[in-house]
Amino acid sequence: MTAPLDHLDLLEAESIHIFREAAAQLRAPVLLYSIGKDSTVLLHLARKAFHPAKPPFPLLHVDTAWKFRDMIAFRDRTARELGLDLIVHTNQDGVARGINPIDYSPSIYTEVMKTQALRQALDKHKFDAAFGGARRDEEASRAKERVFSFRAEGHRWDPRKQRPEMWRLLNGRLGSGETVRIFPLSNWTEKDVWRYIAREQLDVVPLYFAAERPTIERGGSLLVLDDDRLPLRDGERVRVQRVRFRTLGCWPLTAAVRSDAHDLDSVIEETLSASVSERQGRLIDHDDAGGMERKKQEGYF
Amino acid sequence: MAALAEALAEGLSDSYGAARPTRVLHHAKTAAVAPPSPLIVPAGSLHVLTCGSVDDGKSTLIGRMLWDAGALTTDQRAAIERSARTAAGTPDFSRLVDGLAAEREQGITIDIAWRYFDTERRRLVIIDSPGHEQYTRNMATGASHADVAILLVDARSGVKVQTRRHAAILDLMGVSSVVLAVNKMDLVGWSEERFRRIEAEFLDLAQRFAFRNAAAIPVSAVLGDNVARGSGHMPWYTGRPLLEHLQRVPDRQSAPGASIGFRFPVQMVVRAGQDFRGLAGTVASGEIARGAEVVDAASGRRAHVKRIVTMGRDLDSAGAGRAVVLQLDADIDVSRGAVLATPDSAPQAVRGFDARLVWLSDEAFDPGRGYLLRSATDLVPVTALDIARHLDLATLEERPATGCTANDIAMARIGLGRAAVLEPFAEQRDTGSFVLVDAVTGTTVAGGVVIETHAAAAKSAGKAFRLTRALIKQGVGADLGNDAVSEQELRRRADEIAILLRGAGVAVELDDRWESPWRRLGGDSSAFWLRALAALSLAYTAAIVLGLF
Repeated sequence: MTAPLDHLDLLEAESIHIFREAAAQLRAPVLLYSIGKDSTVLLHLARKAFHPAKPPFPLLHVDTAWKFRDMIAFRDRTARELGLDLIVHTNQDGVARGINPIDYSPSIYTEVMKTQALRQALDKHKFDAAFGGARRDEEASRAKERVFSFRAEGHRWDPRKQRPEMWRLLNGRLGSGETVRIFPLSNWTEKDVWRYIAREQLDVVPLYFAAERPTIERGGSLLVLDDDRLPLRDGERVRVQRVRFRTLGCWPLTAAVRSDAHDLDSVIEETLSASVSERQGRLIDHDDAGGMERKKQEGYF
Repeated sequence: MAALAEALAEGLSDSYGAARPTRVLHHAKTAAVAPPSPLIVPAGSLHVLTCGSVDDGKSTLIGRMLWDAGALTTDQRAAIERSARTAAGTPDFSRLVDGLAAEREQGITIDIAWRYFDTERRRLVIIDSPGHEQYTRNMATGASHADVAILLVDARSGVKVQTRRHAAILDLMGVSSVVLAVNKMDLVGWSEERFRRIEAEFLDLAQRFAFRNAAAIPVSAVLGDNVARGSGHMPWYTGRPLLEHLQRVPDRQSAPGASIGFRFPVQMVVRAGQDFRGLAGTVASGEIARGAEVVDAASGRRAHVKRIVTMGRDLDSAGAGRAVVLQLDADIDVSRGAVLATPDSAPQAVRGFDARLVWLSDEAFDPGRGYLLRSATDLVPVTALDIARHLDLATLEERPATGCTANDIAMARIGLGRAAVLEPFAEQRDTGSFVLVDAVTGTTVAGGVVIETHAAAAKSAGKAFRLTRALIKQGVGADLGNDAVSEQELRRRADEIAILLRGAGVAVELDDRWESPWRRLGGDSSAFWLRALAALSLAYTAAIVLGLF
């Protein structure tokens, strides 16, 4: 008899099943690769799903031009080492208009450089399905999200148009103009993601580990200066501190935490016993209450 | 690592203990359940469906479970502490469960929501399904993922019509472990007599539906009695608190009665390089070992398993739930939609079956519309869908019916345009369940289970048009080659044409033996082309000899 599957084995098998269903049912899928820990697990599962073949879809990174340099280096190295097709898309119109996270509110910046950029890239390459690393445990409005989440024409998410999902059956037959976002990590928790990274010995961006970094404090958050584009305000002083990140995004919008956790074990220990939910570190989320839900209706992932 | 885990577990229970506001509890006991170390991976998972209405205190019960199991972060706890209190002076746990903003405004649950937390032995996945009568479809959807269901009733009102409906839906969806949580015991003076009366009624109901595992537990979600810890108010109750009970309910892997016959619905063919052709899928039931013989249920062709491939290493064997790629020792022309099985217990490909289904769509069943049946990995045009009876949830009796609208539970006879591998749900979960899909909009309109299969298609009125492979290949598929990918595309086009014709009122039958012609010549495609080449060169040589060139 084979040993019964533990909880991580079951999650892994479920995600692989989802990847294969999507690849078999949809014409042109793409994997939205955002470089963070969830994307790392997502990509690893995609490779497992089609082994010994390569995943039958490219990776897409929506680059806002404000990601940490370490993230970009990690992204390029990952694609190169795994021999995967990587598409990088930046909203050039947004760049031309000078939209940035310093002078614009997080909601405008996110709308232009992330939401619009993603729609542009999906339309440009005529992708009909996009894999994302979203999890149901991340945020209250995601607890009801489907594994196959449909978008009407214009990438609009309509809660009334979502399909019931029964058994292990995933229905990817598209209506006219529809596309689908697919979430193979739906049933994973943050704990599971870290446990899996440890079990599979996956490489993650070094920013998850504590190191001496130049920081400033602004609005109660600890920001790491990744380059010289962020002008200091009166009274702000750059201090070198041991910090790390729990979640990664655009550097002026991502808060660091003071930490000594310098390797996977200590990061896991610290993260999993943390008493604050992970999205606290993302400044865009508490722009306003119910914000995520509205962003989703507009087409944000 | 182990020492670290221990230290961590200790530290954790301390900090969570401190964070837990025991002052608001009427009896300040320490919680029985300490959050397990995050480094320990639970042995398995249990999917728990919660059924009941808002009035029964369902959101409060779920919130209380999350709170007591230490499944919340400090900021989530703080938010609840800050918000308005309940009449009993406790935090309003129901706020932990509210999802969409729309739901908060309406104050009702409009869809199923998923929550996750770890207990010492297993991951608990809480599937929250709304209790409103018109939401049968939501509950059925939730139940299709559940190992066990918590039926929630108010101790003041006991088992209601709604409870019976919920039991009927659980029965339909194959959930055979049920816990009755008799809530609000604090409001009936912790009365044993009342609990026993409700319990007896419930056990009657459980017997009627032949639930394998049924238990009733008296709880107070607001005060926490018999949720994570025992109750000082009800010394007469000697059973386990709810969370402890859930540690012991059989999960999907250990549930007795699960069939041991090997089933492997093929999701896709994986090709790598010139030589590797493997079949990707998840083992639905049973177990497969390297070297074992398997049969393609539809064609009856057999082969042996040469390799069980996963990234990193090949496996010697793979059990239910494992996602693998099987490489066979012979090419038996298997692709998506096929089901591999052990030869001694292989299922059949069938053209029709009797089903029980729940209508999910807001649009009523329309006999003139094209529907597709999605089984484990196959998608087949439906040629006949005859609704025979409805289950009346008020009386639990069946009555004759023809139509079907949202939330109806119907018995139906379904005919398929092409044979598909299906078997009774009672014997096999994955190859016995299905959804119906609207061919045009793509939406999922119904979901159900197979009761009994028929080898022949249900007779449709009038003569059916026979759509053969040759007909499709001549025109619509003239651009396609003879490789496996083209073959799949040809089949897809045939299905789509059948759907269109059916929409126009023409009954269609597709060829059962949908084989590519070169397959019949024996061997694989390369052998065919070698023979063709040999024949051609022979003819050419003959032509030269005969002086034709």
